[in-house]
Amino acid sequence: MTIAPLKMALRLRLAFTASAAAGLIAVLLAVGALFPAVGHTIGKLSLPQGVSQLLGGADYASVAGWFRSEIGSVYGPLLVGAVAIGAATSTTAGEEEDRILALVLAYPITRARLVGAKAVAVAVLVVAIAASAWLGLLVGVAFAGGGMSAGNLAAYAVHLAFFGFALGAIALAAGAGTGRRSLATGVAAAVGILGWLINGFAPLVGGLDWLKYLSPFYYYAGHDPLTRGVDVVGLVVLGAAALALTAVAMLSFERRDLRG
Amino acid sequence: MSDGPAIETRGLSKDFGGGRGLFDLDLEVARGEVFGFLGPNGAGKSTTMRLLLDLIRPTAGAATVLGLDIRAHSLQIRRRVGFLAGDFGLYPRLTGAAVLDYLAELRGGVDRARRDALAERFDADLHRPIRELSTGNRQKLGLIQAFMHDPDLLILDEPIAGLDPLVQQSFHALLAEVSAAGGTIFLSSHTLSEVERVTHRLAILREGRLVVVDSLENLRRVAVQRLEIEFAGPVSTEGFAALPGVREVTRAGSTLTVAFEGSADAVVKAAAAHEVRSIRSREDDLEEIFLRYYRGGAGS
Repeated sequence: MTIAPLKMALRLRLAFTASAAAGLIAVLLAVGALFPAVGHTIGKLSLPQGVSQLLGGADYASVAGWFRSEIGSVYGPLLVGAVAIGAATSTTAGEEEDRILALVLAYPITRARLVGAKAVAVAVLVVAIAASAWLGLLVGVAFAGGGMSAGNLAAYAVHLAFFGFALGAIALAAGAGTGRRSLATGVAAAVGILGWLINGFAPLVGGLDWLKYLSPFYYYAGHDPLTRGVDVVGLVVLGAAALALTAVAMLSFERRDLRG
Repeated sequence: MSDGPAIETRGLSKDFGGGRGLFDLDLEVARGEVFGFLGPNGAGKSTTMRLLLDLIRPTAGAATVLGLDIRAHSLQIRRRVGFLAGDFGLYPRLTGAAVLDYLAELRGGVDRARRDALAERFDADLHRPIRELSTGNRQKLGLIQAFMHDPDLLILDEPIAGLDPLVQQSFHALLAEVSAAGGTIFLSSHTLSEVERVTHRLAILREGRLVVVDSLENLRRVAVQRLEIEFAGPVSTEGFAALPGVREVTRAGSTLTVAFEGSADAVVKAAAAHEVRSIRSREDDLEEIFLRYYRGGAGS
């Protein structure tokens, strides 16, 4: 019985996720193909340190720097965030606002199981985006001239997936906890964007460097998985946050009145 | 299986603040009964149903459904209940068939033939996307999902909303079959005409409080009757207005209309003192009785 809401959530988000994945692969191939022509010409940009940090170092002279700046720092997390947050909020608060849950929750399924099924669906969609990122990187890097290990590209995809799990779980907790779709979307998007800014600028301000530890972006990209491989600590932090927030989503939804 | 009531509430309350909600509801619905739950919009009908299904939680009181506590055993209750929410949504891009397949899988153990028979009976279009369906056609899907697993108890919030008269007839016939087979039906409406043909008993709710629970026959018995008496010449209203049980006397030419409760004896005897050309008797419409309850003019 729990499989039904999982399948339904995947079905409803399939078209958006598939087009996002196809778009991501296309962009990675295009970015890879562009590198030989323009990468060396641009070289390493001389930018203020915070801005450079926001752009993943803005080192366009190397293949790794090129992909870190083009994909790793903005496009990848933006896309996985959109897929995760969109799926998490629309299948919880969205269905509640659309009064679908008023019918579904009269069926023999506990609220915790229902939220659990939605969480698994979000995770599956995030993994699909991360796998597409890996695939696109493999081919894109080859187009760019190679020089990056497939293992590190996979490590990046794993970090991207865990970043998506965390953002999705924030949206799930806010969506299931409040039943308000726009609020949940706003909260999760704000955490993602603030995290990106904090990770870029906090290290520049003496005494505020520690703030970066509050940013999911730090655990996603701080270790630079594209060149240094997997950072177990970063994955553990993101994974634990995702699990804890999913538990919060289940408990808070179980305890409150359905809206409407 | 217990022989206790299908639904029993004791002091069931849900206080939304500002005087809104449901207050101190004591209600019993027997097994096999078709029970109408009436009241104007905002009276607390949907709130009661949502409480019974654990969609919202009571602020006070308790209730059992099919002998099971609504909080502790909600899952078991929901296995055996079919529910039509008052204002429900369905996935707009999916077809009716896809949504019913999903709900059947969610429930488990639904007989596909039963579902198809219901769809045929209601002449439901299962192959168009929900967003293209009219309100009535969406309501048919809501009814099919509520009935498709042959539940012991049906809780139906405004089931007739948007249905055309032919489908209403099919729906009433289905209710009669379910009731004859021992099923219990608890249905809400804000107009009596929608339920008077099918309910055994009914309750009226106003501003979150129970006003009356009775059979239609008993409610009819306390109805105000009217006698239209045509006299040979003009007759004063005063002699009639003072009679016991008389509520209102109006005159139009040589015709008096006397509204009274209880026995007609005093009115008829008073009329006999004059030359009477004709007497016509008229009961209050049931709707009028209910409107009086709704407005707070009776029973409280």
